[in-house]
Amino acid sequence: MTTPVSVLRLPRGPDPNSRGFDPSSPRFIALCAASIPTSAASAADPARLQEEQRARSVLRESFLRCLLSMSNKRVQFHMYEKVKVEATFGASDIDVLNFQVSDLQTPIGVQKEALIRCQDVISYCFEV
Amino acid sequence: MSELKTQKSHEKQTPLTCSGHTRPVVDLAFSGITPYGYFLISACKDGKPMLRQGDTGDWIGTFLGHKGAVWGATLNTDATKAATAAADFTAKVWDAVSGDEVLTLAHKHIVKSVSFTQDSNCLLTGGNDKVLRIYDLSKPEAAPLEIPGHTSAIKKALWCNGDQQILSAAEDKTIRLWDRTSMEAVKTLSFDTSVSSMEYVADGEILVITYGKTIAFYNALSLDLIKTVEAPASINSASLHPEKDFFVAGGDDFKLYKYDYSTKEELESYKGHFGPVHCVRFSPDGELYASGSEDGTLRLWQTAVGKTYGLWKCVLPEDLGAENSEQLYTTAPEIKA
Repeated sequence: MTTPVSVLRLPRGPDPNSRGFDPSSPRFIALCAASIPTSAASAADPARLQEEQRARSVLRESFLRCLLSMSNKRVQFHMYEKVKVEATFGASDIDVLNFQVSDLQTPIGVQKEALIRCQDVISYCFEV
Repeated sequence: MSELKTQKSHEKQTPLTCSGHTRPVVDLAFSGITPYGYFLISACKDGKPMLRQGDTGDWIGTFLGHKGAVWGATLNTDATKAATAAADFTAKVWDAVSGDEVLTLAHKHIVKSVSFTQDSNCLLTGGNDKVLRIYDLSKPEAAPLEIPGHTSAIKKALWCNGDQQILSAAEDKTIRLWDRTSMEAVKTLSFDTSVSSMEYVADGEILVITYGKTIAFYNALSLDLIKTVEAPASINSASLHPEKDFFVAGGDDFKLYKYDYSTKEELESYKGHFGPVHCVRFSPDGELYASGSEDGTLRLWQTAVGKTYGLWKCVLPEDLGAENSEQLYTTAPEIKA
């Protein structure tokens, strides 16, 4: 008769809400160059850093507000391979990898519900 | 919680099951040992390769971006970079700390294999267009060096001999050894059947090849045969322990086999996967081996069953019945993911 080996716990599985690579992990903090270009320079000027961070925050906020204002509006997507489609924008996922849309008008018909892959999109426009 | 039993002298292997993939796992690779431990990357037909902590199997992140099945995946020695080969006709290089995609290398057909040089400066790729390519990662815009020659799809391409040579295995039933400078094939091994896997062990210059039910060991420099071992079933992948005491193999009967390398004796075999085993690799410290299967899971297996390591805990007789602050539980070896 043999007894199974004890385990402390099972391996942790993927987080359904994110792609991982925890920025608070010791490895990330030690190895990742800070995303702000100025901070990569060893003699980082705190004032410039702050200014750059502020600019990034402003840009990020306006992007998020743009997504919010697109909600339930008809949006035209310009995509690779000269593809232009129009759909009602629903939502974006957290990493901005996919847009959830409805009534997607394509050259081969209308798709009631669809996901548009963001990396395939060159630009999009809509009436505010 | 299991009933308390007197400690038995034989422990039953409890593999650690890593779930998360939704399709077959076709390739896996370990990094070297880094200050943060060692890491494991898995290639999956769901197109989403994953990075895991090597000794626990804990998920760290998923590399998102490929648009097709990922056939090959590798990490550089210090696990700062990852590379993947996919059915979307691209190989991608990733920052393995942030998970960001760093480079996309367009190919003319499905890419099957990727391999970094020791200094991580060059990437070797091979796939269905039958051409080996060497990319200089410091000059990604530059055209890669191309080495044609194989007459069928390349399944695996590896650097060897201090990155001075290349070993490639293809559907044309050959394994070829190429000189990097001359870009010519210096040796060719021919087989009656397609080689299912190839592993290069730098320390000792050993090449581990599987085909049919055979696991074969060759000298990687001369391509002279060292020995062959026959398994009970068709084998898809094998791996040699860093100390060269053992090797493990897995294949179409869903089982993992462990053999003594010197005597060729089959030591242990384990059931656990619910589908054919596609890939198996020893960890860089040899304490465990990982297997990837058609069932969509990775499993971690102990080399020395019962030893305390990673998430496995050796339970001593005096521990049983004592107050333990840790939650200990035993799991049946065949738990479904």
